Order: sequence, then C-alpha cells, then structure tokens
Amino acid sequence: MTTQTAADDHESQPPIVVDDEELHKLLLPNVNDLPISPPSAMESNFVTYFAPDFMKPELDQYIYRHANGLCVIGLAAGHVAFKDEGGVTAVDFNVGKSNRSEIKVTGKRKRNAQQFEPNTALCKVCTNNAFYIVRCCVKGSLLEVNERLIKQPELLNSSADREGYIAIIMPKPADWQKIKDSFITFDEYKKLRHF
Amino acid sequence: MADDDVTTPAVDDRNPAASGDAVTEEKKLLEYAVQELPAHAVKELISHEVCVRCIFRLFIIHEGIYALISPTILYSIIEKATEVEAVTTNSSQKSEVKSSICSICLGVMQFIYRDQTDILVEKDHAADFAMLVAESVKEKYHEIASFTLEVSLPTLITENESVILSHMKKKYASEVWFQEKFSFEHIISVKDALKLSITPSLETLLGVKSSVSDFRIRLTYEHVDAPSAENRMGKNQCNKRIKSGNGFVNETVQSGDVSDFNFQLKKVGQPCHMILTCSTAPVYIGGRYLKLSRNVSQTRWIIDDERKGEASVEELIGENILPMCNGDGYKFHAAGREDIDVRMLGSGRPFLIEIQNARHLPSEASIKEMEKKINSLESNLVRVKHLKIWGSQGWSLMREGEAEKQKQYAALVWISRSIKDDDLEAVSSLKDLKVLQRTPVRVLHRRSPLDREKIIHWMKIEKIAGSSQYFLLHLCTQAGTYIKEFVHGDLGRTQPSIGSILGCRTEILQLDVTDVKMDILNE
Repeated sequence: MTTQTAADDHESQPPIVVDDEELHKLLLPNVNDLPISPPSAMESNFVTYFAPDFMKPELDQYIYRHANGLCVIGLAAGHVAFKDEGGVTAVDFNVGKSNRSEIKVTGKRKRNAQQFEPNTALCKVCTNNAFYIVRCCVKGSLLEVNERLIKQPELLNSSADREGYIAIIMPKPADWQKIKDSFITFDEYKKLRHF
Repeated sequence: MADDDVTTPAVDDRNPAASGDAVTEEKKLLEYAVQELPAHAVKELISHEVCVRCIFRLFIIHEGIYALISPTILYSIIEKATEVEAVTTNSSQKSEVKSSICSICLGVMQFIYRDQTDILVEKDHAADFAMLVAESVKEKYHEIASFTLEVSLPTLITENESVILSHMKKKYASEVWFQEKFSFEHIISVKDALKLSITPSLETLLGVKSSVSDFRIRLTYEHVDAPSAENRMGKNQCNKRIKSGNGFVNETVQSGDVSDFNFQLKKVGQPCHMILTCSTAPVYIGGRYLKLSRNVSQTRWIIDDERKGEASVEELIGENILPMCNGDGYKFHAAGREDIDVRMLGSGRPFLIEIQNARHLPSEASIKEMEKKINSLESNLVRVKHLKIWGSQGWSLMREGEAEKQKQYAALVWISRSIKDDDLEAVSSLKDLKVLQRTPVRVLHRRSPLDREKIIHWMKIEKIAGSSQYFLLHLCTQAGTYIKEFVHGDLGRTQPSIGSILGCRTEILQLDVTDVKMDILNE
C-alpha cells in the first residue's frame, strides 16, 4: 500500500496505485461473474411506479420510490410532451401561486417544506405547440425541484428518467399506503402504451 | 469537601481493633470537652431526638464526632457532664430515645440504615462501618490504586438541621455561651463528617490513599419520606434557600413559636436506605479494523427487530474485548464509517472501544491475545491491527483528524460504451477536482438538504482484462465525499461525476475503501 503524503498528492500519481499484491487480488473481480449490463442505481435502489393519464389523458408521470420513503417524480416516456415536434423547449417552475424553484428546505427534519396534494402543480413543461402541467402525484412535503431544467430543458428530451427528473417529494408513510395502489408497474405501463 | 475549615480528627489511629488504651484516651479527652456544654440546650436537643454525634457536630466537638466509641458510651459521657436526666421517668424509654432515628442526620451519623436487600444495619462506630464498605468494594474490585469517596444524602437532612439551628438561635441567642461559642459557619456538615469519619479506615483497609481518583466509591442515602439531593435540584422551595453542607440558615425561615417549629421539623420513623456503588473511568482499547465482508454493518443495525446484515464490526470486536476487561459494557467509536456493502481493506480504519467500568486492566500480552483471537474467528468477517490500550488522548486524536483526512477507494465501475485510452488520460489528468454534491437521495430523509463541495485529489482507471466496459477506478478523496454518487451521478445531483466526465452512463457495482489516511492508532 503506497502511503500518500500531502506532498505526493500534487505530483502525478504513482504508476502503481495498489502495490500490495494481496490487496490488489481482493479488488479485482471475476470477469466471468460480471453481467453484460448491470442494473442501474435507480433499478437497484428504487421501486418504479407509473401514473398514466394523471388528471388528463396522456399526461404520464413516473414515481421512483426509495426504500427510505422518498419519491422522485418525473415525466414518463409516454408523456404527450415528447410527441410534440422538437420535444420540450422550456420548463417553468412558476405556477402562479409561487415559484417552486425558490423553495429552500433546510434542516434534518425539513420542517419548512411545503405540504402538497397529489394534484398540486409542480411546474409547466413547454413545447413548440403547447404547455403541460406536471403535478406531484403523491401527497407529501416538497423537498427539492430540479432547477437545472430551467437552464437545460433538453435534459427532459435526453434523459427524462434520470437527470431530467422533476422533483423529490417526501410523503408520510400513511399517505403513501393510501395512494400507491392507484399506480401501475413498469410492465403494466409498457403494455398500456404498447412499447 | 470543606477541607479548609475542618480539622482532622484528634485521634489518628483508625485501626478498627483500637486498643483499650486508645479508647480510654479518647474518652478522657471527650469528657474534658463536654464539660463546657450548656446542659439545658443539650437536653432540649436530646428531647428533639437529635443523636449524640449530631450534638457534637453542632457544638463542634471533633473528638465526639470521630471517636470510635459506641453511641451508648457517648451518650453516657454527655449524661454525666450535663446531668441530663432521663427524658421520661421510664428507663426503658431512655434507651429508645438513644437508638431512635436522629431527626437531623436520619441515622447517617449513627451508622443506622437499610441496605440494598432492605436489611437493617446498625454499626457502633465509623471503623465498623468502614469495614463493611471495604468488604463490599474488595468483593468486586481487586485492582485499585486509589479511590474517591462520594456521599449523596437526602436534602431533608440539611432542611431539618436549619430548622433546629434557627430554633436554637431564637431561643438561646441572648445567652453567653451562644454568643461566644456557637458558630453557624463552622458547623461540620453531615456529609463532611461522614466522609472524614470513614476515609482513614478505608485507606487502611483497602491499602490505598484517598485522592482525586478515577475509582469512585459512592454511598447513596435515600429516604422514602424525603426526595434525594438529585431530585430536589431545580425545584424552588418557597423561602428556604439552604446552602447544603453546613446548615447555613436564611433569615427568612419562618419559625414563630415552638408549635410552629415542631411542625417544621420533619421527623422520620425509618432510617435511610443506603446503596453502595463503585465505578471506574473507562478503559480505551483501540487500533485499526478491516471489514472483509459486504454483509456486515459497522455498528449494530436493527430495524423492527430484524438485524441488517449478518453481523456488525462493533459487536465482533466489542464482544471479544469486553470479557477480558470484566466491564459493564462497551461503546464503539470509529474515525468515519463505510456502508454495509463496502469493504474496509488496506491499512484499516482507526477505532476505539470504550469499556465502561472495567474491573481488570488487560496486560500487553492479553491484548495481543485478543488481536489473535479476533483475527482467527472462523467467520473471517473482520480483522484488527495494532490493538493497544489508549488513555483518553486516543479519543481526542480520533476526533481531531477525522474531518480533514483523505480516504482512498477502489470502485468497480461499468460504463455504457467501451473504454478508450483517451478516457484513462482524461481521468488521470484531473487533480484536486472540485465536486459539488447535493445530499444523496438515499440519505436525504435523515440529513439536511445541502450542497457540499468536496475534493477528489486524484483518480486512476485500471483496465480489467477481458472486459471493455468494466474497470477499476482508484481514487483519493476528501473525507465526507459520497463515492457512489460521484460514480453514478445521483440523477445529476453530483456535478461533475465520472459519467459527465466520460460522457456516458456509469454505474458502480462495488466499492472498497483501500486506505484511511490518518496517522493514528497504527503503532
């Protein structure tokens, strides 16, 4: 094991990073055990739900729920916005009552987070033809919105299921129990939209 | 302990088996001292069921307080000097008066109390009582270098003492003896008197000195009818602000006539309960640990009665060290932590096990034994290195370096395209890369939503033979960096990430810590 001193760190790194043979052996995987395509971090740590036609036809949204209860909300692949020519061109978090991108939740307990209902508006997603309202889908506290979408709305076109997520909501366990059965699984969604 | 004001007992010889000569000497000295006592005042105190030693305390007659003489004899000395007649004509009542519970010290100075098993204990004098205490201590603790004696008493004692003193003042303030001799400030408290009584004997019996020590012998007196000193703290008691320890009386204590006084004096029928406890300063044993399993948590992790993972580093190490120290329990402290599915390899992570109330200090040889034992456990989940006993400085060492130090990792990474040589160069060329990490979604439920700037000091890609999309990523980062999120990007909430640097999707399959760069606990 090479010991790195503070001085070393600023030089180019040593040719051999791990010179302890035993340790090195431990680090190398058995290539035959490696899957061609491993599950993604989202697949491993979240359960995916879909809310098709949420409040209006073709407004499909997804909910990724983590084991810790947090829900990541976003636009599902079948959302009508992706069918418009040019896809999503702008995202606006100003939904009349307040600008969702201005919320600042602080503290471990997140006491100053706003409580929203499933039909509360999160943002407006604009295409060349129209705009569509994206909603919370679950009842809970809004922890953050993806304000990167303001400067980079194209994220929705390229990766709506990852970097293009809309918001993160924290529902109470009881509220989640009540609403989860209204959502469908990925397989059911695929069938529904003929993917 | 008000050591400055109190003189040491007149007779130094605290040998429990005091020779007949010493006792006679004590008696003589005492007889001289009591001749000055105002008979009528003493009579009154006795009628209020104040015990002889408390009477000696109030009149500051040291010989009386500390003499290794039974109460019966002490009483007869007073009787003779002050011509105290029996309070009632019935002689049997006289003996009742003598061994009734003192209205001030509640039996503490009379060495009358109920022990843990509720048995009534009554000892003649301090040396006999000290023997009891010493026996109890020696039963469980065999290696003590010194001790500190602590005494906790019910506040009722100081309250009743104030009532009596105030009454004395009201009644006898005009008398000569009161003005010349009676001095509130110099009265020795029950607590001090008790400590001074038994400490010399304890020193002899235990063979060590009393001093500021980690080993504490604590005598806790509690009375059913009175809240203990701890319970009383914080409660405001009307006008009574009583300075604990020497019965100093606040002028506003209301005591009109005698009937009022009797009402205020809370007499008790039962003696106190006394509990003897001992405690020692914790022992710290530390070194470095390695975690070889991806299914072992660092600390005990139980949710809804179910354990997460098959074991914990804390328990694997703690359970093996605790019995060798014969302690009550242990606490595990480590310099940082890793996830349950992350192995801790290489030089290991510094840790300390704090053993509470260790009755046995292990030798260097036993510590080496402990290390061997842990390292040869069949399960082979955890290893320890450089195991050693540390003073309290080990603790501060750990806390000190934790936040500053760097950590080195090896991650097994997959990317959505084939790796190119340009990629290796692109990654190696980044030095002290600043990364902005939003609180990862996986911990966002219990941590503050913050943007944390972290530094990746260097990175190196090691290609894996036989695979074009998997590689080992070696990296050295600032403490507190979330490595998994730096690899997969956490929905773009960590910027930059390996994915954004290489321009493709990346996933992390496994992570190992290969070095915790702290120069401590590694001798």
